Amino acid sequence: MIGDAFVFDGVAHPFNFTPKNAYGTPGEMFANHLYAFHATLTPEGQPVMSAEEFLREWTPADLQQMVFDESDTDMLVAMPLPLTDLFRDGLSPWETCAELASRDADRTIFWGSVNPLEGRKAIDLMERQVGEFGAKAFKFYNVRYDYGSPFPWRMDDPQIAFPIFEKAQELGINLIGVHKGVPLGPQPVEATQTWDMDGAAANFPDINFVIFHVGLPFIDETCWQLIRFPNLYASIAATVNFVVRAPRLFAEIIGKLLFWCGEDKIIYGSEAPIWRPQWALQAFKDFSIPQDLCDGYGYPQLTDVAKRKILGENLLRLHGMDVEGTKARLGRPQSH
Amino acid sequence: MATRGTDVPDWAVQALAEVYDPCCREKGISVVDMGLLRSVAVHDGHARVELLLTSGWCPFAARVLTDVTDAIGAQPGVHSCEVEIVWDEAWTTERLADSARRKLRFLPDPVVVGDRDAYLAAHTPGGQP
Repeated sequence: MIGDAFVFDGVAHPFNFTPKNAYGTPGEMFANHLYAFHATLTPEGQPVMSAEEFLREWTPADLQQMVFDESDTDMLVAMPLPLTDLFRDGLSPWETCAELASRDADRTIFWGSVNPLEGRKAIDLMERQVGEFGAKAFKFYNVRYDYGSPFPWRMDDPQIAFPIFEKAQELGINLIGVHKGVPLGPQPVEATQTWDMDGAAANFPDINFVIFHVGLPFIDETCWQLIRFPNLYASIAATVNFVVRAPRLFAEIIGKLLFWCGEDKIIYGSEAPIWRPQWALQAFKDFSIPQDLCDGYGYPQLTDVAKRKILGENLLRLHGMDVEGTKARLGRPQSH
Repeated sequence: MATRGTDVPDWAVQALAEVYDPCCREKGISVVDMGLLRSVAVHDGHARVELLLTSGWCPFAARVLTDVTDAIGAQPGVHSCEVEIVWDEAWTTERLADSARRKLRFLPDPVVVGDRDAYLAAHTPGGQP
């Protein structure tokens, strides 16, 4: 807990940045962009890793230490990356994520991930990730760079995406995340836009979709989508890491989300190990939208109630977990 | 109006009119309308361009630099060009041209909206505000 807020971190990736894992320059570019985020947005006074320290294989133990031992996080989503277009093992292999979750199954939730372009193979893997490894949700990546060229797919594609969503429902999964914005390496920015979420949300009203990295850069369009579809949610993973270096930018994003979408639809994520979670958690807990922005633009203030929902309660609800019961069972006193 | 600075000659604005901000290429917003351009100066055939980035972590910074260098470098009387990203001034949304603002910020500021629920009732379902 940070203060009285239960912290459920919506995303951490055990990256495998070993050089041999990358497929040539595109994979190296992707990895280097992630290192640039670490170096650029980590605030003064916090340790900044060298490229050599950062671009290595991160183990489940590393993630546990960073998230649970070195921050006031109570629960975590172990999230794979299916980037087999850029990295031999996808960069954050699902098997490693499943291992991370199994080490502390009470506190760590495994999300599955597949490449829907693989059709039957993807569906078989979904069955395995849920049936054998207890995946509670799925995370997808529309932007691919297969065979050296952009190879995107859309969340509203009846041939590619919908069979995957139907399979998820058949497996009892009603929570799906998708990476949007923040193109990395050679990925085309166009395919990271959110417009395809309308079709996904409208055709699968019983699935809750979480759009990751809202505000980087797409914010107005995403707000308008969240307004119209009750089953769309906004993750501020990576977005929250602007809170120290660019507080007014962050204030504008969170202010818009609070006004248009409401505090029940915003979800925190740390993106560990890109950033150590604690500094952003503390800064978010201490953050207020500057009064001139509230007065000038009409943003509501980021209240303690909203912070509690964003930091953990909303994600607990999306996982179908009892909020107060889980807080009582797993909430740890603040120690950092 | 876009904040392009007083140190940007018209020929440079025209030269960069079709150099797009990478995240806004699909929307047709140029680096000029995005407000990225602070100054362009030419001395003895050498052009020096100062750019602001919307964000320091922009993964496409290298592409913008190349595109701007090529566009300015192709102008008559310019034999070489250097583009510098400046950090002593922050890009803000105030730098957007009106046309870019309309494309990017189609939601009104909440202070104009007042009652959110009444606004939404009047504007949904369908369409954009």
